Amino acid sequence: MAVMRMGYVHARVTDLAEAKHHYANTLGLYETLATDGKIFFKGWDEWDHHSVVLEEGGVGVVKYGFKVEYESDIDLIEKRAREFGLTVERMSAGENPEVSDGIRFTAPSEHIFEVYHAQTVIGTEVGTHNPEAFPRHLVGVGVPALDHSLILAEDVRTMENMFKHVFDFFPTERVQTDLEDDDAHYIATWMTSNNQIHQIAVLEGPQGKLHHFAFKLQDWTEIGRAADIMTMDDVPIDIGPTRHGITRGQTIYFFDPSGNRNEVFAGGYPAYRDRPINKWTPDQIAKGIFYHAREINERFTTVST
Amino acid sequence: MPIVTIHPTGEVIYLEPDETVLSGLYKAGYAYTIGCRRGGCAICKVDCHEGSFTYNRPVADSVITAEESSDGTCLSCRAVPDSDITIELRGENVRLVNPFLRQLNDKARQRAEQYAASTAAAQGVTASARTSPTTSPS
Repeated sequence: MAVMRMGYVHARVTDLAEAKHHYANTLGLYETLATDGKIFFKGWDEWDHHSVVLEEGGVGVVKYGFKVEYESDIDLIEKRAREFGLTVERMSAGENPEVSDGIRFTAPSEHIFEVYHAQTVIGTEVGTHNPEAFPRHLVGVGVPALDHSLILAEDVRTMENMFKHVFDFFPTERVQTDLEDDDAHYIATWMTSNNQIHQIAVLEGPQGKLHHFAFKLQDWTEIGRAADIMTMDDVPIDIGPTRHGITRGQTIYFFDPSGNRNEVFAGGYPAYRDRPINKWTPDQIAKGIFYHAREINERFTTVST
Repeated sequence: MPIVTIHPTGEVIYLEPDETVLSGLYKAGYAYTIGCRRGGCAICKVDCHEGSFTYNRPVADSVITAEESSDGTCLSCRAVPDSDITIELRGENVRLVNPFLRQLNDKARQRAEQYAASTAAAQGVTASARTSPTTSPS
């Protein structure tokens, strides 16, 4: 079985028109559908129908979708979710536009996760036949794809156990109070199913909250250019450009027009199941989060939607 | 030209029309605890003691509850004063981080107050001129 990636994030925004301006014109996502008070977007290098869904009314995250490789993986994940004690419901094809059938469950953190095996394929903006390196008329930052999300939960260890058992994820890095796992309290964990350094991270905090969702970029140069465009469009920057000690990724945290935190994230070393986990102690968490400032700004732990 | 007065420390800050409380305070050189600056995180709430304000965008129910919408809670990044208002921060005071902006704001406030006073005086003259014929002795 294989969860391949976090396929979509479905978020709430207070003003759909302002949100559309941010996600389409500043970040450069492509709108693929607008229906029923929702707008669907994809990045230029994504082939499936959408990776971001915005819904008007409120703030924060509605749900996440994780894509598996085979239809049969759905049954296996359903079985594992039930073993873990989760209540699982089946979802039918089309419940989410252009998304296959699958399952849905609410995690111990109160976040809703869906698992699906197919979306309508639109294709990347450069195609597959002798493709160019990138589309030459990208808008704004021009993010190629969704990358990961950080969510808040009261019980980080239980969430790590859930992702291990249900999704067969493994942790790549952790913040924990003791280097011995059995004695430790887990403050945060970064998890994945493949070489991507993290697909989901969980930080101790209030249930059901969104800390941020992130888009991929390549390197420092792209991160710097993204920051310039955020200034041009008066996007509130939370912090950056800087580096995370954890994952080694290069980053900017910023806010969408409804106050949901976004990130552009570049780099990060390749993850492997057999690579020993990097463990951060609470006294060094500031260097882990913001490698250059080595101070956690007051917003990192207090601001979520 | 709304004036924001901060209780109990007494700072007075001039706001441009349609400017939010948060924007006005930062443009006047002050800092306090803020987060997303876009109405989502609820960190920049203050208490409004006098005057009224209007939110310039829809605010999520999870950010301002029904109770908070009538108890003087003011989400400062979205609140545009309708008139002069008095606010109090929660558990902190504003910090003056840019005295130059403070000076500019003071001058802008003084100019606005002088203009308001001269406009009021001119209206007073007009009013008395208009009423004088009826009060003139026959």
